[in-house]
Amino acid sequence: MSAVLECRAVRKVFQTYERAPGLKGILSNFFSRESIDVVALESIDLEVAAGEFVGLIGPNGAGKTTLVKAVTGILPVTSGSATLFGCDTFHLADEHKRRLSVVMGQRSQLWWDLPPLDSFRLLREIYEVPQERFGKRLADYAEMLDVEDQLKIQLRLLSLGQRMKMEIIGAFLHDPEVVFLDEPTIGLDLVSREVIRRFLVELNREHGATMVLTSHDMEDIEDTCQRLVILEGGSVRFDGDLVELHHRVVGRRAVEIHLEPGTRAWSESLAAELAPYRAELVKHTPGALTFVVEAPRTQAFVKHLFDLFEVRDVAVERQPLEHLIKEIYSSREAEASG
Amino acid sequence: MTLARHMRLLAVAVDYEFRKVAVFRVGFLVREVLNGVVEPLVMIAVYHAIYSQSTAASLGGWSYDEIVQYMLVVMFCRKVIIHNRALDVSTQIFEGYFTKYLVMPFRFTVLPVARWVQYTLLQLGVAGILWTIGALALPDVWPRPVSGVAAAQALTLCLIGSFCIFEMHLIVHLLAFWLDVVWSLLVMSNFITSFVSGAIMPVSQMPAALRDAFVWMFPYWAVCAPIEIFLGRLGTADFVRGLWVLALSLFALDLLRRFVWARGRHRFAGSGM
Repeated sequence: MSAVLECRAVRKVFQTYERAPGLKGILSNFFSRESIDVVALESIDLEVAAGEFVGLIGPNGAGKTTLVKAVTGILPVTSGSATLFGCDTFHLADEHKRRLSVVMGQRSQLWWDLPPLDSFRLLREIYEVPQERFGKRLADYAEMLDVEDQLKIQLRLLSLGQRMKMEIIGAFLHDPEVVFLDEPTIGLDLVSREVIRRFLVELNREHGATMVLTSHDMEDIEDTCQRLVILEGGSVRFDGDLVELHHRVVGRRAVEIHLEPGTRAWSESLAAELAPYRAELVKHTPGALTFVVEAPRTQAFVKHLFDLFEVRDVAVERQPLEHLIKEIYSSREAEASG
Repeated sequence: MTLARHMRLLAVAVDYEFRKVAVFRVGFLVREVLNGVVEPLVMIAVYHAIYSQSTAASLGGWSYDEIVQYMLVVMFCRKVIIHNRALDVSTQIFEGYFTKYLVMPFRFTVLPVARWVQYTLLQLGVAGILWTIGALALPDVWPRPVSGVAAAQALTLCLIGSFCIFEMHLIVHLLAFWLDVVWSLLVMSNFITSFVSGAIMPVSQMPAALRDAFVWMFPYWAVCAPIEIFLGRLGTADFVRGLWVLALSLFALDLLRRFVWARGRHRFAGSGM
């Protein structure tokens, strides 16, 4: 499949000013400021083929949103090249922008005081969608997202979930070939998230729309994406098939134990005692411990935990993908500091 | 983008702007109907105090009755000329809502221009109604144009001048790419524009040095000169001169706006996204 989006050695540097602390600092900064470069993206190489559904994740400040802005032409890259439909992203012509859409979870593209239908009409004109297609798509999408009755209600009166569904309808009305979704499910309830995910998957499958989804919610990624890109510190840390990543966790289990109040606390000596199981402590709170252990060792490991602690409750499940991603983050941090 | 498509989009955007301003009734009444009415009435009170203290029948070539008529026409000019609070471009830039327009296949300027068109059409309608009411209620005091041609010339200058002022506001709004003090700058620029335009006092009442300087600036041709043409103090030759000044100003402002836009776009980091 041909690539619709290509990044080659993309680097983005923001310039900011260093502010000295204290009153003296305020005064000295007023007269002379020292500028510093903040590297938001470093040597990003990325290709997205037509029809792919790519998940883009990373901790806060990893550069996800900057990358989305760079590849949609919102901001220019400092060096390297970013192309969409074969054109430099910062100089996209209208004919290319017509094939693109961006959904921002935290910023509405519809007018707050007007019913969504009014905003959709303006979008129809901007994207030159024929009236017939506009009407059909609007009816179909409103039905799929279950918001047919809310189209004529002021946007400000709708719930967060309904508003986000309207945003998504607005983004898809012109049948874009490439869609960037920046945290579209942020703050939404489970049902709304599920409906939105189903909608996105269906449009990806039925219409072949290429999608790049940014989210902190791993369920969003697992339910929709075929491919995962992990960004950290402005660089790509992982770029691969989500199934391949799943295979890495299939053979591992997450064991979570809840402790009776007053039971012994976690200590180095306990760690030594559990060392033969090669279990990794991934979460530690005063009342609960979560380990990741290889599946064949799980039974003996759990038995040993019962010997060591007064266990109130225990849960064993496949290792969540989140743990592996945290591992990827932390292994890179270790590499950087080592 | 063809001109026809621009015009179609502009028409839809004007309709969109009408819907936006009509959503809240009180907001509509205050912002769209009462706008521009208060300041000239205050200035009439100020002039009343000044003339009642003076022994001279006229000040700077204006009698009290003439200055009242001038201020009444100022009221309508102020209504028609777009004001500094009519646009929200800087807020959109600063809060990041502006980001969405950068990925859409159209020129962003269409939206502010649509706001200007909507504002002007609405204000012309409201001004027409208020003018009729005033002329019927106060036939002796109410100013009348010296001729139909003079009225048309005055309106032409006022509308082109309004577009120049709109371009100036838009440039100040675009400074939000760099600065967070746009509203302060707008308030300052609004006051200066009011003074230069003659909305506070007729330019002909000002000292000669200011008068000679202001006649080369577009605000003068948006308010003071059109009113003086309307009242018969200036003639067709002045109207033609005004057209030239406004056309050159519009050209310069448009170039400056494009320059600020291009530089700002390179700087914009899409905050809030």
